[in-house]
Amino acid sequence: MTSDTIGVRKPLRIYCIEDNPLIVFHIEHLIEKAGHVLAGFADSFSQLTADPAAIDIDGALVDVDLADGRTGPDAAAWLKERGIPSIFVTGQQDIANLYADRVVGVVIKPIVAQDFADKVQRLDGRT
Amino acid sequence: MSSSDLAEPGALDQVLILAPYRRDAAYLGQLLAEYDMGVATCISADELTAYLAAGPGVFVTTHEALTPTLIDIVARHLNAQPPWSDMPIVVLLDRASPNSRIRGQLAAAWPRSRQLFYQRPLTQVELVSGIQSALLARMRQREVRDHIEREIELRRELNHRVKNILASVFSIFEMTRRGATSVDALADDFGARLTALSNVHSAVFEAKGEAISIAEIARLTFDPYRQMGVSRIDASGPSVMLTREAGTTLALCLHELTTNAIKYGALSVPNGQVAFHWDILPDLGPDLSVLWQETGGPPVVAPSRSGYGTRYLRAALGGLFGAKPDIMFATDGLRCEINGPLARVACNPEAPDSVSGL
Repeated sequence: MTSDTIGVRKPLRIYCIEDNPLIVFHIEHLIEKAGHVLAGFADSFSQLTADPAAIDIDGALVDVDLADGRTGPDAAAWLKERGIPSIFVTGQQDIANLYADRVVGVVIKPIVAQDFADKVQRLDGRT
Repeated sequence: MSSSDLAEPGALDQVLILAPYRRDAAYLGQLLAEYDMGVATCISADELTAYLAAGPGVFVTTHEALTPTLIDIVARHLNAQPPWSDMPIVVLLDRASPNSRIRGQLAAAWPRSRQLFYQRPLTQVELVSGIQSALLARMRQREVRDHIEREIELRRELNHRVKNILASVFSIFEMTRRGATSVDALADDFGARLTALSNVHSAVFEAKGEAISIAEIARLTFDPYRQMGVSRIDASGPSVMLTREAGTTLALCLHELTTNAIKYGALSVPNGQVAFHWDILPDLGPDLSVLWQETGGPPVVAPSRSGYGTRYLRAALGGLFGAKPDIMFATDGLRCEINGPLARVACNPEAPDSVSGL
């Protein structure tokens, strides 16, 4: 992907893996506010791998604990194997730190809008 | 003996014998085995450290075995015990030995232990019942240990849930603030949403489990409005127990639909009606189908941009059922419908009996 001639970038297509619908809802708003698009969401690692919408994405936001257990790190590894960068969005900083090599950043909950906007830029592999 | 012969750490039900002279150890081991007690026999100081680390139930020894080195090894083990642990020690004395001196010496060297002294010769019954009561005391300690472990686990789980709730509340606040037209409107909407969250939390807690029925969620969502005179909500469907997470999400969705109906929809006029129906579709998996249908209200105008309610319903119901909800701003009344696999949301996917109404 490339930016167009006047330097305005295409919005990123961001996928969200999170089992709390309120957070999905909040994240969707934050993604749009940052000028990007929510490409889809899943509440578990198993749902992610079964979702055809999860293939055509630029990056993902991943909670550590999901509906099928502590599978966020697995989801991040699965995405990384496919060349898709992810960011942990979690209240569990200690667990996120254990798997820091699988992600390009960590956003700590409760989400602070500015921190979110800054970190989401790291999902842009077009620099 | 290799370390694989040692007792499973944590069981605390084995008798560890240290009686290196004559045939004491063999005799004791045979005697205790006859009474179905697990026995490990230790010969040297080198072995003792490993055997103690394996967590014996009771330590049985003879006074003549207790060299200063061995006393020190046992003392170090006793000092390193976790707070719940107090390893019982049985010491066999001789009539000829300086017994009061030995007892004083061991009491000083091993301050944190329950010591039982027997003077030889003694009857089998005396010794066996002494060791059995020491093992029983050790079982009580093991129960305390298990309680402590459970409490640590519960605290971890509690911390996780509190963090989750705070993150939810923060998201509700941020999203309510985004849509609010005034500080008063923000305060009202935010307060009402927190109340809905709090009510469903209490209901799940009082159900003493991790499940709540759809009928109960409907009741606790609609009752406050019924008490205010809004009695035109018909809720019915079969008995379905939802998981805590699914129940919480459904309660928040019903809250949004109800407040929207009161402000703008069927419940904003005297003759409007709301039907909230759910059903199990056995042919499809089975699926759970949920329908919210307003009738008799003012003509519905689709909003120019999606507000909190609509956006939340889409995200929440979509996440819950794994399919997009069908939200229709039909002229004769708002309609919201969703179907999805029952197994995703239910605690008892085989709910056979059907109850109607609330």
